[in-house]
Parts: sequence; structure tokens; C-alpha cells
Amino acid sequence: MINNIKKLIKDFSLSELRGGLKITAKELINKKITVQFPEERTPISPRFRGLHALRRYPNGEERCIACKLCEAVCPANAITIESEMRDDGTRRTTQYDIDLFKCIFCGFCEEACPVDAIVETQIFDYAFVDSREGSIIDKAHLLEVGDNNEQMINETKLEDAKYR
Amino acid sequence: MADIEIEIDGNLVSAKAGEMLIAVTDREGISVPRFCYHKKLSVAANCRMCLVDVEGAPKPQPACSTPINEGMKVHTNNEKVKASQKAVMEFLLINHPLDCPICDQGGECELQDVAMDYGSDVSRFSEGKRVVVDGDIGPLIQTDMTRCIHCTRCVRFGAEIGGIMEMGGTGRGEDLKIEPFLAEGIQSELSGNMIDVCPVGALTSKPFRYELRTWQMNSVSNIARHDLTGSNIVTQTYKGRVKRIVAKDNDSVNETWISDRDRFSYEGLAHENRLLSPQIKVKGEWREVSWDEALEFAMRGLTDKVLNTGEANKLGALASNTATLEEFHLLQKLLREVGSENIDYRLNIKDLENTVTLESNIKLAGLEGVDHVLIIGSNPRLEQPMINHRLRKASLSGASIDVINVMAFDFNYQLNSENIVTPNQIAFMLAEVLKLILQASNAEIPEALSKIEASDTAKQLADRLLDADNSVIILGEHMVNNPQASSIAQLINEIAQQTNSTTLNISATANSMAGDLTEFVPGKKGLDANAMLATGLKAYILLDVYPHFDFHHPAQAIKALSKKDAFVISMNSFKDEAVAQYSDVMLPIASFYETSGSHINIEGKVQSFCASVSAPSDVKPAWKVLKVLADLLQLPGFHFANSMQVTSEISNQGHKQNVSNKKLDIKVKRSVNVIWQKSPYAVDALSRHASALQATKIGQMHSASMNKATAKKLEVAENDNYLGVPVSIRESVANNCVFVNTNKPIRGEL
Repeated sequence: MINNIKKLIKDFSLSELRGGLKITAKELINKKITVQFPEERTPISPRFRGLHALRRYPNGEERCIACKLCEAVCPANAITIESEMRDDGTRRTTQYDIDLFKCIFCGFCEEACPVDAIVETQIFDYAFVDSREGSIIDKAHLLEVGDNNEQMINETKLEDAKYR
Repeated sequence: MADIEIEIDGNLVSAKAGEMLIAVTDREGISVPRFCYHKKLSVAANCRMCLVDVEGAPKPQPACSTPINEGMKVHTNNEKVKASQKAVMEFLLINHPLDCPICDQGGECELQDVAMDYGSDVSRFSEGKRVVVDGDIGPLIQTDMTRCIHCTRCVRFGAEIGGIMEMGGTGRGEDLKIEPFLAEGIQSELSGNMIDVCPVGALTSKPFRYELRTWQMNSVSNIARHDLTGSNIVTQTYKGRVKRIVAKDNDSVNETWISDRDRFSYEGLAHENRLLSPQIKVKGEWREVSWDEALEFAMRGLTDKVLNTGEANKLGALASNTATLEEFHLLQKLLREVGSENIDYRLNIKDLENTVTLESNIKLAGLEGVDHVLIIGSNPRLEQPMINHRLRKASLSGASIDVINVMAFDFNYQLNSENIVTPNQIAFMLAEVLKLILQASNAEIPEALSKIEASDTAKQLADRLLDADNSVIILGEHMVNNPQASSIAQLINEIAQQTNSTTLNISATANSMAGDLTEFVPGKKGLDANAMLATGLKAYILLDVYPHFDFHHPAQAIKALSKKDAFVISMNSFKDEAVAQYSDVMLPIASFYETSGSHINIEGKVQSFCASVSAPSDVKPAWKVLKVLADLLQLPGFHFANSMQVTSEISNQGHKQNVSNKKLDIKVKRSVNVIWQKSPYAVDALSRHASALQATKIGQMHSASMNKATAKKLEVAENDNYLGVPVSIRESVANNCVFVNTNKPIRGEL
């Protein structure tokens, strides 16, 4: 009985609404923390595992030697590689596909790579719009990501190297 | 040898005196790491990886070269052993490049495996590593000698199994290099086994190079059907394609080895020349159609041409000897059901009245134990490599080997005598031998032999046959078209009976034994292959026949099959111009490793196999095609759901070759004899399409060998064309004999 009366008073005095408005009023004058993505970005750890990239050596030669260790270690079977002997007698991939729908971004491919060819970059803002096939990125695309972001990849790997 | 007991790791183990320790531990399932030891090769003890601790010995002993003694106490796993194995491993890895990511051996590498267990995770070696520059050693084997750990297995393989020491160590110490002695590289017909024995990635398969990692493939057991051995193999497949073939152990058949033909012929499966869809010929134009349409067309062709007109005896079936047991059976059953007995697989024989009918009555493993061998008309090394390997083993354990051949071949064992005899004289020579043998046992001499004066050579041959306790007479392929073929077989049979010898008939290869067993030969009212083509039938069913290679006279056969009123159904795995010319329907059938079936080897052993991969695109296994064709023709008794049901139907039957009772003909004629022998890598369509095999020296054999006198008689000179094959003048060929050994079709009449 007494509880019912207390509740009645509380409801009619709008105490909860006033409590909420108090926070609103406080935030009205506080410093804003909203980030204006994509113009502004939050900081990302150098260990962040985002979109994959295939790297090249400084002389322009692709690093990947088609050892297929990334394919073997991938827990989601997201990587498909076909290899052959290139005309100069070196072992190279003819196909290197990653299905980003299957990928769970565990970073095992990067760990397994003996030549630091496949890496996961800090890029996370990508989209596939056209079809299911659009989620599969091929060798050319991966190399392009690597070429465009070599500096970023280098810096983040260097930063993380201290802790490895 | 008496059983003795030794103690290994505290457990009592019984073993035979004189055995090496490693053989005992292997049998007991105790793991001892090793690189240079191989159960089929001699002991070298140079890798030192198998060090074990023998109580009483001051230092660890190599298990591979330590014979066991009564009461020996061995530790394979104590601290001393572990420390020494780890040290050896470290030494072995000093010069190893550790390029596992790009090495084809990665994943199946003995060094990799052992290094995981015994290696250290950090290298203490900071000096420069040895680098070896590789040479090209041929189209089959890829070398990366920087990876070599000098176990010398390949060297010992060449010297002990291959029969020619092609690989060897040159230089010493740091400069020791394992390399072929000859610039031409490795040429042995068993060379691929070096890939199998190499514990590291120094020798790998060239056609397979960089294609796949070993863990990506599925392994399916299969049987190689190229020769009379039926070697047990493992086909390694990836995404429905055979990518590599390795040997499978079977001591009674192929031990651990397989021939290069068995190993590398799979390349042909992916050849662009594969026949991939059923085709029918409408008004002279080839049209690709569905299976339903093609089979309907074939069925209608058969009914219209022969079945509805009551001329079933105008239907003939020819098959090449590569067909499986089931295919032979279904095709002959189909023919016999519709009422025709025109069935034959013996396409390469000129005179089917005059054939070498001889039973083989020795087991492959038994060949090792013989003390005397007489080879007649064969170059077993290239024609039947695994049988030759057994003969070599016999020779090494003391068997004397005599040869009667039309040409001197390169044998890889010591011959007692090599008699180069004109083909026309071989029957006479055997008659001389028989007469001497009959005389020795005071038996009655048949009239046909009474006038013969035996020569010294014959006397020696006869003496050795009489002296031997366990001899074998081998009849080879070069005799099949000999004008006195049946007499030769009869004489051999008689000699074998008189001397208690066994016989081995290797004159027909591949799956010919299955052709005999299923009675894929003309019945009493039927025509044989030659008669069919000579009389001209109205309809033919051809199973995997490539006229340029399979018929003894290709041009005549093609002409006969091309006749306007003949309806020809061809089942082939590969496209062929001549087949397209004469056929009305071409049905694409599965090749080796794509179909289930059975192979019968020389000792009559039926070895069944499953398909390793499914056939590409619209290609179907031949046994299924034949079953459906029979169903369309509404024939009874073709309710088979799988090829095993066909096999079980066959096992209930039995068939034996009848020894010919033709009159003995031993007269020596003066005419020139041409022996056409396909090059060892051209025996079937699959090997002919295997590019790496074709690039080898054996694969490129293309010559018509004859001696000067014969060349003069035939009016040809060196490098002239004879039957479309360049002439090679060698005095090692018998007189009046042309030995044509080629990988290409021949032209003109034999």
C-alpha cells in the first residue's frame, strides 16, 4: 500500500525524466567526442587486422613464393592459391584469392608467411556491392592494396616488431 | 638362421641372427631416424642419423650397420642417443638451404620430419652455406643439389637397382657433389624411383614442379596398366585430376619400384588431344551430340546395318590390349549375345594362324630365384622394366643368362652369351637345341629334327639348360610376327618340358592376359582381326583402337574400316585423325585411372582398381558405355550397377590358351624380316600423350636399324627413310633383319 503511494508520487513528479534531462543538460556543455568518419578517424592499434594485402620487395618483385602455408593454416579455408613455375624458373602464384566473407581476420596467414608477403593492413572501410563474387579479392587487387599502402604497412609492422 | 633374443629399450625382442638392428626396430615399430638407410638398398651408413646406444660399445652405433648379437642390449631413446642424434641433425642442416617454402618435397620430406623431432630451433651456424649449381639431368627429374645431404640413396639405386651407375659423387669433403656422370643426364627406364628414394628435395619430379604442395592431394591406390607387371601405384589427385604418381609397396608384384612409364604417363590425361564429347558423323560432317543421341545413333546404325537384316555375323569387335578385364568381357558378351563371334584383340599380328601361344608358369617373385634364363626375342629392359628388374636380381645372385635376339640390346646385367640371330634362323636354332636335349635324355628324335647338325652355339645353350635346376625360358615381343612364330613357341614348349624349365611369355603386353581370359578371341564361327578386315564387315565396334599404332598394317586396316558401307563405332580416349576418318560415331571413354576395372598380370594375378578421378567433361567409362549400348539393343544379362559385378561374373569362367599343333617349320629362309617394335613410351595412347616421357631419350627412339648387308639388299643408306623411319646402320643387328623402333606411325608395308 505504502509502496503504491510512493510510486504514484514518483511518477507524477517526473523525477526520472528530470534525471535524464540533467545528463542531457550536462552533455550540452561538455566537449564532444563524436568522430566525423571518414574525415576523422579513431586511432588504430598497429596490431589491427583489417583488409589483406600482398607486398612487394623494394625492387618491385612480388614477395609471395606460392608456398601455400597461408592456405594450409587458414581456419576458414578462405584462401585459394594456384602456382606454377614462372619463365625465369621461380615459383610464383597464378591465382591468389581471398574470400573476405569466409575470412575471420585471425591473422594466421600473416603469421604463417615465411616471406612477409601476405599482411593484414589497418584498412577496414571497404565494401562489396555488386555480388557474392565481389567478396573474393584476387591477386591483382591484393597487390594493388599492398602497393598503395606500403608505407603504412611498413610503419605499423615496424612498430609492432618491438613486441614480437 | 636361428632366432635370437635381444633387448631394445628394456623389451625382449626376437630376431634373426645377422639382421641389422634397424630392420629389427622397424619391424617392432620402434622409430629410429634415418636418411641413408633404405630397406631395398645396400647399407651405406653415411648419414649417421640412426645412432643408437648399444650397451658395451663405447660410442653410439649406427643401427643400419650394426648386426645384432645374442643378448645385445640397445637403447634407442636415452640421453646419449638423443644428444648424438641432435648433433648429427645439426651437422646435416649446416649446408641445407632450409628453403622448405619453395621446395616440392616440403610436407613429405624426411629431413623436415626428422628436423622437427631432433633438430634445434636455432641455428648456431653463421658461416656461409655451400651452394651447388644445378645442371639439367633430363625431362623427368628436377635437381636442386644444394639441398642434397649426401645420403647416396640415388647413387646406390642406380648402381644396385637401375643397373647403371648414372649418379655418382664427385669431389670430396666440402666439394662433394652428387651429379650424373654423363652430360646427357639420367636415361634409365627406372629413373623416377630416384625421386622416391631421395629423402630431401634434391631430386623431385620435373613435370610436377611447383604445381602443388603435397598436403593438397588425395592419394588413391591404382594399378598401372602399361605392361604385364601391373605395378601397384598411388595416384595423387587434386581437384579431380591426377597430379602425380608414386610407387606403392607390393613385394610380390613391383616391390617398391615402378617404371618411368608407369610414373609419368599420367601427364597424357590432361592432354589437349582428349576426346571430350560424343560425336556422330552426319553427311560426312562431325557433329557434337549428347550421349543419348550418340548411343541412339550407334544403336540404330547397328540394328539397321546388321541386326535387323539378319547379318549379325557381319558385325565385328576389335579392342586394343589396354582395355580392362571388364571392358573385354562386356564387349565380347555383347557380340556373342547378338550372334557374332568376330572378336579379337590381337591387332598387331600379321598371321593369326601362326602365333606364339605359350603359357607363362612362373611367378614374378619366382624369377629372382632361377639359376638360368634363356631370353628369346626381347629387350625386357625397355619392354617389361619390372620383369627385367627381377631378372637382374636373379643375375646378381648368380643366374646365367643366355639371349637369342635379332639385335644386340643394352642389358643391365651380365649375359652368359648374346646370340644375334637372323629372325628366320631362330626356329632352326631352337630346333638344334631341342635335338641336343632329346639326345642327352636318350629320347626319340622326331623326324622333323632328324637331319639337323647341331652347332656349337646350340650345344652351349642346350648344355646350360640341361645343367640348370631351375631355369626359365622367356619369349619376347619381337617374335610375334616371326614367319615361324608358332614353331618357335612349340619348340620352346618342348624344350621347357624336356628340361623342366618354366616359361614366361611376354610377347603380348598391357592387359592381353585379360583378353585371353575373357575369350576376347574369335569363336569357332568367328573371324579373327585380319580376316575381319580382309573380308570387310558391315559394322565394327572398336574399343580404344588407334590404327596407326595398334594394327600391324595400319594403312590396310584404315582402308578396310573406311569402306563406305561399314558402320564404325569407335570408343577412344584421345582424338585421332584416322579414327575420325573411318568412324561414324566416336564415343569418348575414360582413360587410365579414370575408370574402375581390373588388370591381369603375367602371373595371372587379377588386380582390381577403382577410378582415381572421374573422367573429364562428358567422358564416360567404357564399361558403362558398353552396358548402356547393350541395354539399348535390349540384350539380356547386362544388369550391372558397377564394374565389380562384371568382374564377379568373369571370375566364374576360365580359359586357357591352346598350344598350337601346327606342323613344325624350321626351314631357314633368306628373305628380309622387319620387326616393328613401338618405342617403349609409345605402347599406348596415354604414354604417347605424356610430354615429359616423350622428351626422354627412350621416348624419342625413332630408327630402323639394320646392318650394312641388309641395307645394301634393301638399297637404303644411313638416314634414308625406310617405312618412314630414318635408317640407322649398325652391325649389331642380325643379317636379313630390320629392327624398327619408333614412337611415330610407320608408313608403307611391313
